[in-house]
Amino acid sequence: MAKITINGNTIKVKKGTSILNAAKSIGIDIPTLCYIAEMNEVGFCRICVVEVEGEQDLVSACNTEITNKMVVYTDSEKVKEARRASLRLLAQKHRFDCWNCPKDGMCEFYDILKEHDIVFEEFGPGKGRYDDFIDGTAINQDQTKCILCKRCVAVCNDVVAARVLKFRDDDGLNPIVSPTPELSFDETGCIGCGQCVKACPTGTLFVKDHVTDVEDMLLDPVPVVAQMSEEAAMIIAEELQQFSENVNVREAYSTIKQMGFSDVLDVNTAKDMVVLEDVSALKHRLENGRDLSLISSHCPAAVRFTELYHDNHLNELSTTKTAHMAQAKLIKDVLDHKAKVVSILSCSAAKMEMTREELEGHVDAVLTVNEVMKMIKHRYLDKERHEVDIDNGKLQAALSVASQYQGSILQVENVLQKLSLDIDNKPLEPLNYTVIAGDESKASKGVIKEAKVKIGDHKLKVAVVRGGAQIKAFYKMLEVSNKTYDYVDMMACPEGCTNGGGTPFEHDITTHEVIKKRIEMLCQHTDMAQYDPSVSTRVLYEKHLDHPSSDDVMTLLHTSFSPKESTKE
Amino acid sequence: MKESQVVNELFEKWIEDAKTKLNEDNFFLKINEYLESTHPEICGKCAPCRDGVPRLEALLKEYKEGNATLKTLKEIEDIVNNLRSSRCSVGLDIGKNMEVVLENNYHLLYNPVKKY
Repeated sequence: MAKITINGNTIKVKKGTSILNAAKSIGIDIPTLCYIAEMNEVGFCRICVVEVEGEQDLVSACNTEITNKMVVYTDSEKVKEARRASLRLLAQKHRFDCWNCPKDGMCEFYDILKEHDIVFEEFGPGKGRYDDFIDGTAINQDQTKCILCKRCVAVCNDVVAARVLKFRDDDGLNPIVSPTPELSFDETGCIGCGQCVKACPTGTLFVKDHVTDVEDMLLDPVPVVAQMSEEAAMIIAEELQQFSENVNVREAYSTIKQMGFSDVLDVNTAKDMVVLEDVSALKHRLENGRDLSLISSHCPAAVRFTELYHDNHLNELSTTKTAHMAQAKLIKDVLDHKAKVVSILSCSAAKMEMTREELEGHVDAVLTVNEVMKMIKHRYLDKERHEVDIDNGKLQAALSVASQYQGSILQVENVLQKLSLDIDNKPLEPLNYTVIAGDESKASKGVIKEAKVKIGDHKLKVAVVRGGAQIKAFYKMLEVSNKTYDYVDMMACPEGCTNGGGTPFEHDITTHEVIKKRIEMLCQHTDMAQYDPSVSTRVLYEKHLDHPSSDDVMTLLHTSFSPKESTKE
Repeated sequence: MKESQVVNELFEKWIEDAKTKLNEDNFFLKINEYLESTHPEICGKCAPCRDGVPRLEALLKEYKEGNATLKTLKEIEDIVNNLRSSRCSVGLDIGKNMEVVLENNYHLLYNPVKKY
């Protein structure tokens, strides 16, 4: 323990604590900009500087450890002046087009400028640091707004492990954060997960915008079907209702309907179809040897991560399409040949997924939650208005007979549930997970957990993997230990779709308070005692399709994967 | 001897004896040369040094062109003080040296901008 005095308050804190955390423990907030706890404690921005008695110069609070009898001032005039000067310098090299910025009112940099009353002469849409624009099918970068905080680089390395974004400081006066120069994000091995976008304090990194495309589609007489994932609906409802006690998800559907979509569907039925397909793949595996693991392919970013960096595991991926792609194909090929389909998801990787050759023409656009909120603003829709009629006619009759009992938010539990129902005729016992990597309480870096379960005579071993870095670690573990898993639920974002790249920005991305609450809300509808994926899909299979894994289902619901290459410098 | 070394010696002299003064033409030239000589050392990681030094050069240029105002001088002071919050000794040294420059040459910096 060490004794430390902060702004006149003497406290005892553990040795090795940073000044920032010590101050936080007694309720003194020190402003930060480039800081992400345990990921980017680099002190690049110099906003968190504090005055330490006996030190000639100001020190950064985020990466200076306390020493015994240290006397710290966090808001002396000298400190405030220094913060203002640093912010002024950063602002002078930032292009301000706040009214048109993809960050759309959630800009951390704007907030901190406001908090510090920054005045500087070059205000207005100046030129910015560099004028390059780096394109990509999921992620884009506008370098006029970069403030070189290196947060995206830290996230791309530590959380996603794709190592696409780099801090290039060969020329010390003009460093640059970018993928391999002259190349787009897609060419440099980006998986489109969007975690960098969530980490960016400005609008430098953003998810490719499909709003204009969708608004044009809505002007055409051709019907446009919106299909919305459960997570997206929950987050839109959260945004509309500002986290009231009980978020009403139906409101999200009715608001989307008001925008002019002909139908607004959920993707629960398609999710159940995917579960059925995965169950038949799992049964096949159980009958025909278990040399290879079976890995879910319901996360487009995790699939691309495997294609790019671990192509030796491609044959272990389940060939089932993602739920929204499967449903779009089903709508277009079987139910309504004319309709256009727009997916509303919390995912940015789906934008990259829709450009895949194998999935061409499945969905016409993908909207993230942030884009939907933007469209709501464009249309001046009244956020207070409730419940319009969302009867979707024949499509809903075919697709949304969803049983009132929903499955778990973990795909693996749903698959095992169906397997248990088929073999043992009883619902799945709750799984006891053991965390083998990462920390569940700090899920911002992802987690690997495994569970064992006995169904019939089979002893099954399953795993849940979240976060790119953990996917990498997981594949390495498979290679080193020669272990196999019966089913692996794999997603590239830490905490999965509830924390996707298209979800609203959180200032403190490591606390995950919002995400924990979101998961809690989603789990409210889970009833594993009653859930059966065959219920919601019954009408579909009776009227339109053969049976799971039949030929017509294979063409509709299955895809293929191939190794992909990237150029990195 | 390189120009920057001349300037460095000058700093040492200034620190010892505050009376050594430069004339106006020489002053802006020498200081610019000094700042330019620090460019290869700047690593580009922290804001005060990476963005502060080019900004200082731009502000000193305003003096040379006769466009400087009291605001320019104020901003120079802010940036120089802020260099003392840099991340490493490169920025801290530039800050210390520039503080000495300012202390010894207010007559050159203040005269052109004062308004009666």
